[in-house]
Amino acid sequence: MNSRILPTLALIVSVGIFFAYVQPTWSGSIYAAKASIASNDRALAAAKTYTLQQNQLAAARNAIDPTDLAQLARLLPSSVDNVGLILDLNALAARSGLTLSNIDVITNTIAPAKSGGVGVTLSAATGPTGSAELSLSAVGTYAALQSFLVGVEKSERLLDVKDLLVRGSDTGVYDYRMKLSFYWLR
Amino acid sequence: MDIPPTIPTSFVPRSTFASTRRTFTTNFTDVFSIFAYAVLGVVFALALGVFFYGRILAGAQASKDAELAKAEKAIDLATVQGFMQLRDRLTAGQKMLGSHLALSNFFKLVETLLPTNVRVSNLHLTLDTTKRVRLEGAGVAKSFNALAAVSNSFAADGRIKEAIFSNIVVNRDSSVSFALSATLDPKVVAFSP
Repeated sequence: MNSRILPTLALIVSVGIFFAYVQPTWSGSIYAAKASIASNDRALAAAKTYTLQQNQLAAARNAIDPTDLAQLARLLPSSVDNVGLILDLNALAARSGLTLSNIDVITNTIAPAKSGGVGVTLSAATGPTGSAELSLSAVGTYAALQSFLVGVEKSERLLDVKDLLVRGSDTGVYDYRMKLSFYWLR
Repeated sequence: MDIPPTIPTSFVPRSTFASTRRTFTTNFTDVFSIFAYAVLGVVFALALGVFFYGRILAGAQASKDAELAKAEKAIDLATVQGFMQLRDRLTAGQKMLGSHLALSNFFKLVETLLPTNVRVSNLHLTLDTTKRVRLEGAGVAKSFNALAAVSNSFAADGRIKEAIFSNIVVNRDSSVSFALSATLDPKVVAFSP
C-alpha cells in the first residue's frame, strides 16, 4: 500500500505543476512577451524603412534650390495672411497706375479659427489647401488694367481673377470690379 | 508401501492463486511508479524550460523595447511635418498652376479681333461652375457691317465660342448697340509662364 502513495503523490504534484505553472505561464506571460517582441520587430522594421525614406527625402529636398523652395512657400503660404496680400495688391495697383477704391475679403461665410479672426469665403474645408475670395474695385485706364492683370497673374502668391467687370466711359478711364481667389496651405 | 497423504510428494511448492495475484500487484506498482516519476520528471523539466524561456524572452523584450525607444527618439516630428508640407505644396501648387487663369490673354485676343469701329462699353468675365470663363458684354458698333465683321472675326478665330449678339438696336446715328454673350476657349485664359 505504501509503495503506491509516493507515485500517486508524484502524479498529483506533476498535474499541479503543469496546470498551476507551466500552462498559465506559457499561455500568459510567455505568449504576451512573444506577441510584444513580434510587434516590436514590426515597429523596428517600420522605423528602419522610415529612416531610409527620410534620408531619401532629405536628399531629394536638398537637391532643390533653396530659392525655389522659398518661392514655392510664397506661392502657397502656410497662413492666410490676407492683410499682407491686400498691401501687396495696393502696391501693385499703384505701380500699374490703377487707383483702388475698395478692397476687402468677402465675408459671406464664416471662416474657421485658422483664418485668424478675419471672415473669408472659404472653399470646402477638405484637402491640404484653403482658399478665399477678395473683392476689389478700381479706376484706371485700359493699359493700367492690363498691367495690373499681368501683375496679378505673375504674382509670387497664386491669385486667380475669377470675376471681372469692366464699365466703360468716354473719358478713357474705366471702372473695374474683380474677385480674386487666393490660396494657402492648411 | 504407500506414502501417506500427509507427506508432500515434491519440495517445489505448488503455485496457488494467491501467489499469482501478489506478483501481478507488484508488477503493476512498479510500472505505475515508473510512469508517475517519469511524468513528474517531464513536468519538472517543462517547468524549468518555461521558467528559463520566460527569462530569455523578458530579456529580449527589454532589449527590443530599448531599441524601439531609441528609434522613436530618432524620429523628429518637425522633420516629418516639413516633408508633408513640402509634398502638399508641390502637389497642390502643380495642380493650381495647371488651372491658373490669365485673363490678360483674353484682352490681348480682343485687341486683335475687334475692329476700331466697335466699342465695348461693359464687359463681365466670370468663371462658371464648369470652370469655363463666360463672357457677357454690351457695346456699340459704328455700323451693322462693323458688327457683322466682329461676328465673322469671332467665328473665324474660334477661341471666343458660342458668341451670341443680342439686343441689337440701330441707333439714330446708324450706329448699332448690342449685347454679347460667349464662352472662352480654356486655352485663351490658361496661364503659361
